[in-house]
Amino acid sequence: MKASVGLLPEYIVGISILVTMVAAMIRPHGSTLKSWIALIGTLGGLWATIDLWTKPVHPALFFNQSLTVDNYSLFVNVLVLIAAGSTLLLGWSGEREYDEFPVLVLISALGMMSLGMVANLITLFLGIEVLSLPLYVLASSHRNTLGGEAGLKYLLLGAFSSGILLFGLALLYGAAGTMNFVNFASVAHIHSPLLAAGLMLTLVGLLFKLGIVPFHMWIPDVYEGSPTSVTNFMAFGTKVGAAVILLRLLAYGFYMSGPNWGPVLGYLALLTMIVGNLLALPQNDLKRLFGYSGIGHAGFLLIGVAVHTAVGAKAMLFYLLPYGLAVIGAFAILTMMGNKESITIQDLRGMARQKPWAAALFIVFMFSFAGIPLTGGFVGKLYLLQAALFAHQPGLAIGLVLGTFLGLGAYLRPLQAMFRTSPGESNLKGWNVGWGHVVVLVVALIGTVGLGVYPTPVVHLVGQSANFFWLH
Amino acid sequence: MIYTNWVVALAGIIFAIGAIGVMFRRNPLIMFMASEMMWNAAALAFIAFARQFHDMNGQVMAFLIIATAAAEVGIGLALIVSVYHKRHRLDIDEISRLKG
Repeated sequence: MKASVGLLPEYIVGISILVTMVAAMIRPHGSTLKSWIALIGTLGGLWATIDLWTKPVHPALFFNQSLTVDNYSLFVNVLVLIAAGSTLLLGWSGEREYDEFPVLVLISALGMMSLGMVANLITLFLGIEVLSLPLYVLASSHRNTLGGEAGLKYLLLGAFSSGILLFGLALLYGAAGTMNFVNFASVAHIHSPLLAAGLMLTLVGLLFKLGIVPFHMWIPDVYEGSPTSVTNFMAFGTKVGAAVILLRLLAYGFYMSGPNWGPVLGYLALLTMIVGNLLALPQNDLKRLFGYSGIGHAGFLLIGVAVHTAVGAKAMLFYLLPYGLAVIGAFAILTMMGNKESITIQDLRGMARQKPWAAALFIVFMFSFAGIPLTGGFVGKLYLLQAALFAHQPGLAIGLVLGTFLGLGAYLRPLQAMFRTSPGESNLKGWNVGWGHVVVLVVALIGTVGLGVYPTPVVHLVGQSANFFWLH
Repeated sequence: MIYTNWVVALAGIIFAIGAIGVMFRRNPLIMFMASEMMWNAAALAFIAFARQFHDMNGQVMAFLIIATAAAEVGIGLALIVSVYHKRHRLDIDEISRLKG
């Protein structure tokens, strides 16, 4: 297969980045043309991905074995393009004054898409950086002090973690003498201290990006300080990118040495599930709450990597979808509440009476986060539980249940506030609903409820995607 | 004769200095510089290993690291300058309106 066929989704997104850039330059300030072009590019990438899925041409390797196109990368493309499309739609009205917004979202999405098909250390590093660099700018695009600070914090910790990751990659290269994941497999079982140190540093760097507990402290601050639509992108997109590259690296290049890294990741997953959900309990700011809950969900995702089985890989890949759909739904409601600096739990008061439909939708997404039956989050957690039990890791299963109960407490607090009547004037003054919000909400609602009621087709697709043949 | 181990040890020392700098200095500019030092230590290690293996991949990676570091510096300095414009002080502990 030629690269122009296999990488068509990436090419479409890449071209639409350039066209969006030109449109942002030639059209007057505030025109929506650039957002339209970016959205069409996203939909075009989605169409090309689905078209490629039905062709029996993959897996295929491109560019001297540095990129792999297979069902896994195509599934990741779908997740990333949903995240990018929802971000464009949610930022449609609020961020219109920033001409660079759609361009940066698309560049970051391109980095996330490339992370799904990484097969080589060079592309791993480049993918991580192409993902991160536009997000530093996006995180600071609030025109107030808080925004610049969030961007600065993100930049400093991002550069620090990239440094750790890079040194780890250098040591891996030195120990194995190769850059390709496929060749790592043949040397990875040799116990060399250089390889162990390199793998450890690489994992620390990647876990920083995913937000696993000892390395999580930047997440709530950056989520709180960024514009809401950008937070949506970070909560969904970067989690997808970091989780899929972690799974790809470990299940592709280091599957022989699973007993070495598996238990470490298992303990970190346990710690993250408990601490993330526990810290979400007392939060008052909704974006911080989603930040901490995102940390807890990263812990759930890490179970799928740590158990090192095909069931675990499938469960992790499946869980990304209901989590992401609940994220875009919840953040659509938050952006509908107007362009406020921060949205606290008190702002939700009286929502159930004044805006019953929005309140009902918010309840659905919160239930999906918490893992209540008939939502996608429940099915995802069920598969992760199954993966932990199949791998004879009852500790992880207990941690998952405990983390879920703690998370339930955190998600019930905003819901409780919604049913309280507000004294005095309404908190929902800046309420505005655009067509973009409606589209995102419809997609998120259909996805969340659909995955909860009838998950079979998606489970089938995920089963084809995470089909690493050496795992069993 | 320069042994690979020596160069890698030097890279390790530079990496450690950079990491300590990020953790203990409080000025964002210095912290940023220290993290760039960590990147360059990694580039040095890549070049040392590439020389040992007679392999071009490591050198390609070193060039990519330099290019990406330049892009990151562009964004980073712009951010630091814009924060300085608003606050007229540069201290990471003072940037505590986001309690962290």
